[in-house]
Amino acid sequence: MRRRFHVFVIPLGLVLATSATTRAAGPKPTVVAKQIDQLLAEELALSPSELAPAVNDTTFLRRVYLDLLGTIPSPEEVRAYVADDLPRKRRRLVNELLKRPEYGVSQARYWRDVILSRRLEDRAIVVGPALVEDLAQWINDGEPWDAIARRFITATGTASENGETAIFVAQDGRTEEIAAEVSRIFLGVQIQCAQCHDHPWDEWKREQFHELAAFFPRVGMRPIRDARPLDLMVNVADRPDRPRFRSGVNLNRRGRPEHYMQDLEKPGEVGERIEPKFFLTSLELPAGTRDADRRAELANELTQTDWFATALVNRYWSELVGEGFSEPIDDLGPGRESLAPGAADRLAGAFADSGYDLRWLHKTILATDAYQRESRPRRTPDEKPFTASVAQPLRGDQLLDSLLAALEVDESRLRGLGGGRGGYGIATPRLGFNAAFGYDPSEPRSTIQATIPQALARMNTPQLNLAVQALPMTVVGRLQREHGNDVEEITSELYLRTLSREPTAEELATVNDFADEATWSGAAMEDLMWALLNSAEFAHRR
Amino acid sequence: MFRTLWQTIEQLQTFHHGPHSGPYTMTAYRRFTNIGLDRRGAIASRRDFLRSAGATAAAGLFTSWTDQVSCAAESLRKQGKRCVLLWMEGGPSQFETLDPKPGTSSAGDAGDIATVVPGVHLAENLPHLAKQMGDLAVIRSLTSKEGSHPRARYLMHHAALPMGGADLPTLGSSVAERRRAAGDYEVASNLPSYVRVGRVGNAGNAGMLGVEYDPLTVDGPTQPPRNARPASSVARFERRLGLLRRLESDFGTGFGAVEGADVVANHRQLVDAASQMILSPEMQAFDLERETTAMRASYGEGRFANGCLLARRLLESGVTFVEVTLGGWDTHDDNHARTQELCGQFDKPAARLIADLKERGMLDSTLVVWMGEFGRTPRINGRGGRDHYPKAFSAWLAGCGVQGGQVIGATDKSGAEVIDRPVSPQDLFQTIYHALDIDPSHENTTSTGRPVKLVDGGAVIDGLFA
Repeated sequence: MRRRFHVFVIPLGLVLATSATTRAAGPKPTVVAKQIDQLLAEELALSPSELAPAVNDTTFLRRVYLDLLGTIPSPEEVRAYVADDLPRKRRRLVNELLKRPEYGVSQARYWRDVILSRRLEDRAIVVGPALVEDLAQWINDGEPWDAIARRFITATGTASENGETAIFVAQDGRTEEIAAEVSRIFLGVQIQCAQCHDHPWDEWKREQFHELAAFFPRVGMRPIRDARPLDLMVNVADRPDRPRFRSGVNLNRRGRPEHYMQDLEKPGEVGERIEPKFFLTSLELPAGTRDADRRAELANELTQTDWFATALVNRYWSELVGEGFSEPIDDLGPGRESLAPGAADRLAGAFADSGYDLRWLHKTILATDAYQRESRPRRTPDEKPFTASVAQPLRGDQLLDSLLAALEVDESRLRGLGGGRGGYGIATPRLGFNAAFGYDPSEPRSTIQATIPQALARMNTPQLNLAVQALPMTVVGRLQREHGNDVEEITSELYLRTLSREPTAEELATVNDFADEATWSGAAMEDLMWALLNSAEFAHRR
Repeated sequence: MFRTLWQTIEQLQTFHHGPHSGPYTMTAYRRFTNIGLDRRGAIASRRDFLRSAGATAAAGLFTSWTDQVSCAAESLRKQGKRCVLLWMEGGPSQFETLDPKPGTSSAGDAGDIATVVPGVHLAENLPHLAKQMGDLAVIRSLTSKEGSHPRARYLMHHAALPMGGADLPTLGSSVAERRRAAGDYEVASNLPSYVRVGRVGNAGNAGMLGVEYDPLTVDGPTQPPRNARPASSVARFERRLGLLRRLESDFGTGFGAVEGADVVANHRQLVDAASQMILSPEMQAFDLERETTAMRASYGEGRFANGCLLARRLLESGVTFVEVTLGGWDTHDDNHARTQELCGQFDKPAARLIADLKERGMLDSTLVVWMGEFGRTPRINGRGGRDHYPKAFSAWLAGCGVQGGQVIGATDKSGAEVIDRPVSPQDLFQTIYHALDIDPSHENTTSTGRPVKLVDGGAVIDGLFA
C-alpha cells in the first residue's frame, strides 16, 4: 500500500512513535489550520487577489451554528455576537458551540442520513432514533472516530435499541453490501464494483472485494417475529462445525459460516470459498474464525490505515468548505487525483495524531482561512478550488430546526409538515420532513436539487402559514405589538431572525415600497416573513 | 380590516399549551411561545382547492376545461406513448385472478368464468375484465426468485435488484425521461410527467435521472397533490411571490448578488415551476368532480376506481406515466374472502379504464400494465391464506399494440410450476419498453460513472404484439 502521508512521513512517524503522550494533547488546531492554508496556497498557487474575502461576523455566526448545531442563531445571539469585542471571538464561539449537546445531535443526524440514505432495506429506518441518540452521546462524550467506527463494525443486537447496528440493518444483513458500505463509509473506497468483475478503473481485484466480504458472512439480519412496532435484529451464526450451503431468498437472514465467491460462468453453483483478507494490510484470517474475531480484527486494522483518516477528513472538509479534496467524497481511489494532496495528507495525519478527535477536526477546519471565506457560486472545472466557500443546501434537519427557530415554534407542537414521499414508519413530523427534504450527504452537492413538492411545502403548508401570520402568539404578531407600524424596525428583526443579518438599504427600500402598497402593514410584514422563509438564502448555509 | 382578520383567525387557530420537549431538542436555550399549530392536514379541502384553481381559470387567463381537453387531444398526438401502471401491492394471488385452477386443490373456493375470448377463462372474481378480455394479453408464466416484499417490489419496478452505489430510476421515471428524450415534450405541460396515486414503500424514484423525473405523489385520487393550494388567496400568493422575486433579484445586493447567484437562479426556476403548476388550469385534471355523474359511475366506487379515472384525466393533460396502487394483497390469512373483495375493487375500474381509453382513441398509444410483486402459493395454509410465491405468477397488459385476447405461457395443473414460455421480470420490462418505443438497452450513468442499462438481459415476449 502506498503511503498517503508522504509529505510528512518523518514528523508523523516521530509523533506516532510517542503517541501515548502526544495524543492526549494533539496538534494545536490553530497551528495545523495555518499549515493547511499555507499548503493550499503553495499547491494551488493561490494569489491573494483570487481569494474571496473573509466572511463578516454575522455570516460566520450563522455558518458555524448550522455546521455545528444544525440550526440558526436567535436574534439575541446575533446581537450579542456582533457586540462582543473581546479578542479571538471566532475561536471562542467555536469552542463554546462544541460544548453544546446539540453538537452531537446534529452530527449524529448527519451520519444517520449518510447510512440510511443508501439503505437497501426500507424498514431499516427503525434504527434512526437509536442511531441518533447513541451517536450523539458518543460524540458529545468525546469518543474518538476510530472507536465509533469499531462500534458500527462489530455491532449486534436490536435496531430499535442499538444504533450501532445501523449499517447492518440498512444493508439488510447482506454480506457483500455490508462490506461495500463499511469500505465506502469508513475508508472512502468504493470497492463494490469489484463484486462481479475486476474494478474497471481502480486496481482492486474481484478476489479482494470478496476477501473483504469474507469478514461478514456470519452476520445476518432478520425482522423480530411479531414485534409491534416492527423491529429488526442483527444476529450471528457462529457454527463453523455445521456448514450449510443455504440458497434462495432468505440467505441473508441467518448468515452462514463462510463466504463463497460465485463462479460467474456457473451461477447455479456455490462457488469458491474465500478466506477473510483485508486488501489494505496484511490481515488474514483462516476459515473457521469466529464472527466476533473477524469483525473485531477488521475494525482494528481498518481504523489504523491512512484511508480511514483521509476519508473522514475529506468528508468533513467537503461539508464545511463546500468541496472535498477528492470528489465524490466517498470514492477516493486509488487512482484519483486529490486537489491538494499535501494539505489533505497533513490534515489527515494531524487528525490521526489527535486520536481521531472529531471536535479537534472541527476546530481545525473552522480555524482555516479556507473555511472562513465568503461563498461564491460553485466553481467550474477550470477555476481554482478553495478560493471561496460554497453555499450549501440545508439538510432536512437543519432546515426544519431553522424554520422552527425562526418562527419560534416548539417541535412538540408540530403536526404533519412536509412535501410528501412516504416510507416505512414515518411516525413523527421530523421524519416526515426529512423524508421530503432530506438528501444523501454523500452525493456531490452540485447534483442535489430541490423538488416541486418541497417548494410547495415551504410555500403552502397551512401550519407554516399560520405561524407566519400576525397572530397574538406569533413572531410577527409580537413584533407588531412591540414596534407598531414601524416597517423598518420589524423588517430588521425579521431579517435577523431568518437570515441572521440586517437587510441591505436596497432590501429595506423594496420592503418599504411593498408595505406602502399594502392595505395594512401587518399584512405586508406577514408577506415579508413568508418571502424570507421561502428565499433561497434561508434554505442555504452561505 | 382587523375584524376580517380576526374572523379568519377564529376559523384557523387552535391554541395549545404544552411542555417543552426533551433535552436534545433546540428548546433548551431558546424562549418559546407555544404557538398552537393548525390541526388540519397539509391538504386543502377539495372545495378550497377548486376555488383557487378555478378562480385562475375563470379569470379569463386560461382556456376552459373543454378547450383544454381538445388542446390536449392535439398534444396527446405529439406526446406519443404513455403508460398506466396498476400496481397490486402485496402480491396478488394468481389463482383468484388470472390463472384459476378449477377442480384442483390449488383452486381454493374460487371458481372460474368464461371470457369473451373462446377458451380463455379468468377467475370468477373478474366479470368485467372477462368482458374486456379481447383487449388483454394475460401472462401466466411470470417467474422470479424474490419472495420478500421490499426486494420483489423493487425488482418489479426497476427490472433489477437493489444494489449499492447505483441509484436506479423506477419504471415511471425511466419512461417519463425516455419519452421526453424522444421529443414528446414539445407541448409543455404544467404538470409533472410522472404522477403516482397513493403511496408505495420502496417503489423507487427518479434516482440518477434527477428530481425532474421524480413522481409527483398524490395521497388519494380525490385530493390534489399536497400543498397544491396556496395557503392565502391567489392574489395574495402572487403578491408574495412578487415580493420574493423582487428581494432576490432587484438590486443584486443580497445573497444573490455574488455569493449564491447560481443558487438563487435555480431556486427561482423551482418556485416558478411550482407556482405555475398549481395556478395552471391543468390542475383541474385532479378534480374528478368535473366528470359527469355517469362517467364517474361507470368507473365504479372506491379509491382505486377514482385512481383509474384520475389516471385517464392526467394522461389527457399531458402526463406520461401514471401509477395507481391497490394495496392489501398480502393475503396470508383468509385469502378467499379478501381476494374476492380486492378483485371487486379493481375489476370494474380497470376494465372501464381500457374501454374509456379505447373510446377516446387513446388505447393505441397508451399501455396499461397490471402487476404485483409476486404470486401466492398453490397450497392454502392453515389460516385459509396463501403465502408468497415468486416462482409462478401472473400479470396483464393492454394497449399500445399489445395483441389482446391472448394468454402467454402456462403453469402446470396445480399452478406450482411454469410449464410454457417462462417470462422473467426482465422479459416483462423489455416488453413494456418495446411497447412504449423505448430502447431498453439505453444506458444511464451512476454518480460513480458506471453505466447501467434500463434492462439488463431478457427479451421482448414473443407473439405479444400484433
